[in-house]
Amino acid sequence: MSKFTGVWAIFEYLDETTETIEQVRKEGVQPTVISPCPRHEIDHALGEPTTIVPWIALAFGALGCFIGYSLPAWTASDWVLPVSGKPIVAIPPFTIIGFELTILFAAIHTLAGLALLGIIDSFRFPIPKGAKDYPRFQRDRFGVVVRCEESKLEEFENLMKKNGAEEVHVEK
Amino acid sequence: MGTTAEYNATAGKVVIDEHQGHPGIKATTLDYGQINDEMLAMLDKPRPSYYLLLLGFLMALGLGALSLAIQVDVGIGYSGISHPIAWGFYITNFVFWIGIGHAGTLISAVFYLTRAPWRTAIYRSAEAMTVFAVMTAGLFPLLHTGRPWLAYWLIPYPNERMLWVNFKSPLVWDVFAVTTYMSVSIMFFMLGLIPDMAILRDEAIRKGKKLKALIYAPMALAWRGTNHQWIHYMRGYLIFAALATPLVFSVHSIVSWDFAMSSVPGWHTTIFAPYFVAGAIFSGLSMVMTVLIPMRAVFGLQDYITNHVIQSVSKMIIFTSMIVGYAYASEFFIGYYSGSPFERAIFYYRPFGEMESWTLLGENQINFPQIAFWLMVFCNVIAPIPLWRWKIRNNALAVWIITIFVNIGMWFERFNIVGSSLQHEYDPAAWGEYWPTVVEVGITVGSFGFFFTLFTLFAKSLPPMAIMELKEATNPPMRNAAKGH
Repeated sequence: MSKFTGVWAIFEYLDETTETIEQVRKEGVQPTVISPCPRHEIDHALGEPTTIVPWIALAFGALGCFIGYSLPAWTASDWVLPVSGKPIVAIPPFTIIGFELTILFAAIHTLAGLALLGIIDSFRFPIPKGAKDYPRFQRDRFGVVVRCEESKLEEFENLMKKNGAEEVHVEK
Repeated sequence: MGTTAEYNATAGKVVIDEHQGHPGIKATTLDYGQINDEMLAMLDKPRPSYYLLLLGFLMALGLGALSLAIQVDVGIGYSGISHPIAWGFYITNFVFWIGIGHAGTLISAVFYLTRAPWRTAIYRSAEAMTVFAVMTAGLFPLLHTGRPWLAYWLIPYPNERMLWVNFKSPLVWDVFAVTTYMSVSIMFFMLGLIPDMAILRDEAIRKGKKLKALIYAPMALAWRGTNHQWIHYMRGYLIFAALATPLVFSVHSIVSWDFAMSSVPGWHTTIFAPYFVAGAIFSGLSMVMTVLIPMRAVFGLQDYITNHVIQSVSKMIIFTSMIVGYAYASEFFIGYYSGSPFERAIFYYRPFGEMESWTLLGENQINFPQIAFWLMVFCNVIAPIPLWRWKIRNNALAVWIITIFVNIGMWFERFNIVGSSLQHEYDPAAWGEYWPTVVEVGITVGSFGFFFTLFTLFAKSLPPMAIMELKEATNPPMRNAAKGH
């Protein structure tokens, strides 16, 4: 991971955090925000970011559905067991297996997907060690992390102080 | 979300309108740090009474383990299960515990999608109950096979016997349904815990408790609470809720088809799936109340699990009680209306047994199914009636007593279904009687010990309420209150 250059600040209030986010975005930089719980105000300020998690669920749900039908169909054809003249490859009973495996595959891969995306994002949008280790972000404080060039450090530092940051840290 | 906890800038305080459907949770009046402190205080060193309670449950579990050892060592013949009654206490327990597991997913997934705000305070505990109940339930079919060490034969895998499982059998559907349900429940539970584990990790760091931090850190999965993590997390949580919702309704439907797909009188009926699902929700919600009302008293959680929450769950209990009551009546009507002498016979046998008249005189004897039937009717249909009154719903002790009746009633409902039909099938020459042996009773008691031991350990090792969601429910800290949403 490359060395972090930028500014990060700690905020007590949500409205000050969102104002800072909006002003940083006006400068052409997309900040990373840390919060103790999800707040839609932060999402609005960040411009409603999206995620590919639903697509992962859809893709693997479809795969589970395919396996759920094809596995019973293949095993029934592999060892033919005629019962009461009923079809060997019977869709209604296999629908139950299809349904269960759709749910199972979608659920497992949603969890794996969001964990993996979290890891990928930690490389794409790194945050400095000081911010990572600051224990009150999980408790009652908001954090705004701005990754920028050295020439803009002072500008962002002043912006955060002006918006009421409790602490501002400059990392070079 | 249609919250009714609004910040009144003029009055300078949070105003909660309990009557509009808000849980009235105390969290809405606290700040984020205070919520942390109150929740984490619940994980402090337990009082001696906690260990005493745990010891009681462990003793029940020990009795179950001893009975289980005897059962596995001697074999299934040591139980009361014998021709013609192939399904006895074990399948009854399986169906009962699967049903108990339904409330957790209902509260965490269905009420999440329908935005029922009162779920916030109770969903974590209910979800834990789901996980523990399904774990308990899963033991019984394995035990029932007689040779549990060969349970892996239920899984379709290439083998030297060149055989596959029969995917047209409801028993194999059950294997898939229950394992999927257990997996999804555990994952959903773990997913909800991730941000709270990060809270525990950071609080441990803040207070200099290195060992605790070391334990919680891997469970937090490197959670930092960045907006990137939150967006994936919240969307993933919503998807999980959407996936778990149909699963709740499918699992007990599939369990019911273990019975309904057979041609046994009293079982072969289309009403079974909704009847079982309603019963599962009924028993699950009752178990949630049976466990959470004492927990609320012990931890002093009256401001979180408010009377409003108890009232809301009670209303669901009344609603599902009416559905199961209707199902009981419907079964009898269809039994009569079918014109089938076997159906008519079984629905006479369930309440009245061998009795030839409505009196209890003469040589007529009451069997176990008759006891089960009348307990079922009393506990599931009559006992919840007082919940119609607001005063009763508002009284935690009264609700607790009623939910215990419901738990008893639902266990006997399961037995009534499993036991009675097998005792009196088609041919009177093949009729039989079932009484459980002491080993079966021991394992049943042990299953309750297993469930309650796990829950008691959970209550002191993981946050029994979702801290993150409590914070979400409260008003965020604002410098300028007028900007609040």
